[in-house]
Order: sequence, then structure tokens, then C-alpha cells
Amino acid sequence: MAEKARVLLPLLLFMLVLVRKGESVWLNIPRSGNKCVTEEIHNNVVVVGDYVVISDDHLHPTPTISAKVTSPYGNVLHHKENITHGQFAFTSSESGQYLTCFWPDRPGQGGALSVNIDWKIGVAAKDWETVARKEKIEGVELELRKLEGAVEAIHDNLLYLKGREAEMRGVSESTNFRVAWFSILSLGVCILVSCAQVWYLTRFFQKKKLI
Amino acid sequence: MERGERKMKAYAVLGLLLLSTFAGDVSALSVTVNDVECVYEYVLYEGDTVSGNFVVVDHDIFWSSDHPGIDFIVSSPGGNVVQTMKGTSGEKFEFKAPRSGMYQFCFHNPYSTPETVSFYIHVGHIPNEHDLAKDEHLDPVNVKIAELREALESVTAEQKYLKARDARHRHTNESTHKRVIFYTIGEYILLALASGLQVVYIRRLFSKSVAYNRV
Repeated sequence: MAEKARVLLPLLLFMLVLVRKGESVWLNIPRSGNKCVTEEIHNNVVVVGDYVVISDDHLHPTPTISAKVTSPYGNVLHHKENITHGQFAFTSSESGQYLTCFWPDRPGQGGALSVNIDWKIGVAAKDWETVARKEKIEGVELELRKLEGAVEAIHDNLLYLKGREAEMRGVSESTNFRVAWFSILSLGVCILVSCAQVWYLTRFFQKKKLI
Repeated sequence: MERGERKMKAYAVLGLLLLSTFAGDVSALSVTVNDVECVYEYVLYEGDTVSGNFVVVDHDIFWSSDHPGIDFIVSSPGGNVVQTMKGTSGEKFEFKAPRSGMYQFCFHNPYSTPETVSFYIHVGHIPNEHDLAKDEHLDPVNVKIAELREALESVTAEQKYLKARDARHRHTNESTHKRVIFYTIGEYILLALASGLQVVYIRRLFSKSVAYNRV
């Protein structure tokens, strides 16, 4: 692990220059099969992603990977093959699990691969540089704007959680109702079935002239 | 949707960590832990506070009322274990990074059923004297803004934890809802079937093929 850190450190610092603001997420891609990242995103959220591949074994040229982003209903939002660097951006139109998968193009030959993923959603995906340029703000004011954005995101999240809780409460109450009714109904079914049995057997024995 | 994702055999690995003096926001990603899944995060400065949480979301238990949970181990770049949590189904954690470097966050699943873990990790940094070049001065406003940002981050982290717990609760709720219906209808059908079989059996006891009046 320490060796890996020593190896990755200069590469990482280089990546930090390439990747925005030093955000980095490191995944290990297996030699065969794929590595997937999922997230539950609700409707109408901006999603921005950026990924770079490096080879742990320092192979040249860097082995390429393929990447695919899928929406919860199966629509492919981004699909690229034979690349070492790519990015995608979209606004979610469906609510659910979004799946991002990476797999090596030549399984078994690539060696150990690590992919650096920069994945931002919602307020973090906002392009503050454009806002700063447009409104000509900088420094402390820009930072305070970012904080304001963060607070708004917290508020929105709270409302979302509240909505979810209301939904779940509805399901719970419905389950409660069902448990009560179906238990009583099961008693009713039991009595009905046993009455039907008794009635049928009585008729049967009367027919057989045993009663 | 969740069932489809569960059916996927692919490893879902999630790494989250933003390293940045401008601590951006990281989404709470989900990983499917089959045996061991490790996430790596780079901590830029020594003394940074690394905080986060994780929740085991996919909890398809059938018999027992509580799953034994998964193990969570944080290792520093030197190989030392910084934090360990055993047998938990969701926890918050926080520690001060003793050194900078690549930290490893591992989830161990002691059982054969794959579990989906949703987690969020945040590395927070407050600028101090050591970060600056020799001729720069530390503006107290920047320090205060950084502290504010960290406070807001902790609120966001708590929200993500709540969201993950809510997702798990929702999962259990929906499962209960479905089970109530299916098991009750199944129970009715089985009851009717059992009594039908009883009647058939009694009829056969009195049938002509068996010696008449022997019963």
C-alpha cells in the first residue's frame, strides 16, 4: 500500500492538475470483467463526470478502457470505447439508480489499471468559474456564493427527504391496513372453508345413507 | 430498478473523496461488496479531518431479524489501521489524518450474500499557516469561510447518511408490503387446498373400491 502510494503520488499530483480542483476518486479495474459505480439520483439533477485511466504497472501506451453510463430505465447516456480519458454531462430525466461501468478493452493483457473518476451532481456540478466571470465576482464573495449554493442544496435535500418520508409513511399505513384486514379475512376464509367441508361431507354421507 | 441493479453481477466500486482546499461535494455512491471492496482516497494535508458514513442498503434478509453486518477498516498509507468497525450495518466515522497520502477504506463481507453499501467520505481542510508561501499572510476571513464550509459539509454528510438509511428503511417497508399480500393470498390458497385434500381423502375412505362399510 505504501509502495502504491509512492508510485501513485507523482502521477496523482499530475492528475490533480488535469482534473478540476483536485477531486479524485480511484477505482481499480479488474483484468477481466467490469467495475461499476452506481448512484441513486432523482429527477432533474445535473450530473458531470470526468475519468482518466492510468496503468499501475506503467505500461506504454496506456491500455484503453470502455465506459458506459446507463439510466435506471436502461437508456445509455454515454458510451465510449478505446479511450484513456473522457467526460460526460447530462441532466437526469429519470429518478433511480444510475450505473457507470468501466471495463478494459483487452481483458487479460492490460495489467492493473486504475481509473480516476470525478463525479459531481447537483450544486457541486455548477461551473463556478463561468458564474464568477459573468457576474464579475471573486475571492470572498465567490466563496460566499458557493456557501449559499450549498445551503440551498441542503434545503432541497431536506425537502426531498421529507417527500420520501411521506411516501414511506403511506406505504407503512397501507401495510398496516392490509395486515389488519387480511388477518380478519383469513379467519373468515378458515370458517368458510370448514363450513363448506362440513356441509359437503354431510351431503356425501346422507347420499351414502350413512347418516 | 433496484432489483435489476441487484441482479447485476458486476462489482460496483465506489470511491468518493474530494481532496481539495475548496471542498467540493461528493455524491454518496454504492458498492456491492461480495467479499472485500476497497476504496482509495488521497488526503493532501496532514491533520485533515476525514469524516464520512456508510450504510448497508441491500438487506434482503429472510429468516433472522438482524443481519450480522459488515466490517469496515480504514488503513493509512503506512499500512496502519486507523479505524475498525466490526459487524455494523451503518455507521458514521471521523478521524484526523495522521499523515498525508493514499488512505484505504475497505469493506469486508463475512458472508456469502453480496451486500450493497452506500457511503460518503469527505476530507476537510482548514487553511493554516503551513499551507502558504513565505510572503503570504493568512486572511482570517478565509479561515472562517473554510470553517463554515466544513460545518455545511457536516450537515450535508448527515443528510446523505439519513438518505441512505431512509433508502434501506424504504427497502424493508416495500418488502414487507409485498410479503403481506403474497403470503396471505398464498395462505388462503393453501388452506383451501388442504381442506379440499381432506375432503377428497375422506371420500376415498368411503369409496366403493375399499371394502364397503369397513370404516
